[in-house]
Amino acid sequence: MRTDQAARPINTRRTPHSAAAVGLAKRSIVNITRLPSAFLPSVLMPVFQSIAFAGTFFAIIQIPGFPTDRSINWFLPLGTLMGAGFAGIGIGFSTIRDLETGFYDRIRLTPAPRSALITGPLAAALIRAALVTTIVIIVGLIFGARPTHGPTGVLFLYVAAAGIAALGTGWGLGLAFRFRDMRAAAIMQLTFFLLIFLTDAQTPLFIMDGWLELVARINPFTNVIRLARLGFLDAPITWNNIWGGLIAIVAISALTLTFARRSLARLSDS
Amino acid sequence: MSETALPIVAEGLQRYFGSGDNIVKAVDGVDLQIQPGEIFGFLGPNGAGKSTTVRMLTTLLRPTGGKGRVAGFDIVSEADSVRRNIGVALQDAAIDPLMTGTELLRLQAVLYGLPKAQHHQRAGELLERVGLTAAGGRRVGTYSGGMRRRLDLALSLIHEPSVLFLDEPTTGLDPMSRISLWEEIRRLNNDGTTVLLTTQYLEEADQLAERIAIIDHGVIVRKGRPTELKAEVGSPTLFVTVDESTHQIATGLLAKFGELRPSPEGSLGVGLHEGPSAVSNVVRELDDAGITVRNLELREPSLDDVFAEATGYRLEGAES
Repeated sequence: MRTDQAARPINTRRTPHSAAAVGLAKRSIVNITRLPSAFLPSVLMPVFQSIAFAGTFFAIIQIPGFPTDRSINWFLPLGTLMGAGFAGIGIGFSTIRDLETGFYDRIRLTPAPRSALITGPLAAALIRAALVTTIVIIVGLIFGARPTHGPTGVLFLYVAAAGIAALGTGWGLGLAFRFRDMRAAAIMQLTFFLLIFLTDAQTPLFIMDGWLELVARINPFTNVIRLARLGFLDAPITWNNIWGGLIAIVAISALTLTFARRSLARLSDS
Repeated sequence: MSETALPIVAEGLQRYFGSGDNIVKAVDGVDLQIQPGEIFGFLGPNGAGKSTTVRMLTTLLRPTGGKGRVAGFDIVSEADSVRRNIGVALQDAAIDPLMTGTELLRLQAVLYGLPKAQHHQRAGELLERVGLTAAGGRRVGTYSGGMRRRLDLALSLIHEPSVLFLDEPTTGLDPMSRISLWEEIRRLNNDGTTVLLTTQYLEEADQLAERIAIIDHGVIVRKGRPTELKAEVGSPTLFVTVDESTHQIATGLLAKFGELRPSPEGSLGVGLHEGPSAVSNVVRELDDAGITVRNLELREPSLDDVFAEATGYRLEGAES
């Protein structure tokens, strides 16, 4: 025993939240380049979906009162939101991998603020979502999409995508922390698909009928899709079409990110 | 020394899993007091409660009951302060295989709040210390098991912790890597780091630890200096291998020379009250009874004997 050694001074150095969050976000982004196969589907799938839906359902624009004369203008925002959602949920997938391999224990052992363990991955998801949105828009433009309200309108698509990525991150992380294995992945995907498709994702509300119309009308994701489409439809941009989507994004993101934070705290319980 | 000045203190630490009839008492009232600058060995078979105890002391797992203080801080209410002052290398050296050794060390430096100017220098120092300078730019997925362990150790040292937890650091390593890691642990201890080392290897505990605790089924069954614990066992153990058909007679004869002790499968063990001089009498007695002795081995008291006396079974040869 080294009794001749003076006791080491107590380490009181605090880890800045921003530094920890940036460090974790950077790791997540770097890993995209290391394992592109895990990221590529979240880019290719929305691109394919936008083009395929626009081609398959091109006659949709013949519905009287349809809000655009280009089917790709209708489906591109949907594809973008799907990609943004998977950017967020993808963070949940990679967290499951870290939990299963034990690397997440090493992260939890550090004195990094626990909130940074949420905001770091969130920042990574926002960057991924921005990347996906940009790629889908570029491909969409090549295939005939035309923004109807200039850059301001396109900005709403980015805002909606960021919101979907944020709430997807909260949901993905929360489920990953609760289940700690791939069971969480199935729930993440299923719930996200259901919530997105039980809206006016495919057809406008005014031609929907029965329970599907009722569910789509009360589903807050309908408001988010409306926000995303603002810059691609012929109707003027009004505050009435904006606030519902913004509130839905803020409220659901707050709920899912709180769920993630609480689930992280519960990791020490079992 | 007051308890708050001790690097590691556990009082009645408990961790139960499940509930009702299915409750599993993984750790059931562990008491520890580890002195500054000590290497303390926590010895036990798989599932004994070693790792669960370490997970509680390192804030990864909330205790069901009892108290713990590490580096002077409560492991539940002051978990952040505990984390700032400990280094931990967990059992499986779980490291992101997609990142390089240098990237991982830098990330670790960020998460421990080291000034940015120190990240590069500290990463380089630690890679050199664990002999991974040449491999620092390679992805961890290409590292061997021994290299991963060394990197894991380096990661746990990024902030120069005063207390180091090593959970089975040499499990699965080849003998050379094991000895190399032992030397590094000794060096760290010489620098003043208090080390809690869990292991299922008796030799490791004997080589490194100044004091050990033996844990079995979540309970500490022996605690003290290895030399003292061995002395408590007293007499040496004679292991005799005879034909299966003569086991029963041989057992009766051996019992005349001392208490029967747990032995590896296929052999019989007896603690010789009269010491090594009784060996010739044992052989003569067995010979007179017409029992053929296949093998004979006299062992001075070892930690395995201490373990066997405390638990009723041997750790050596136990399934790992």
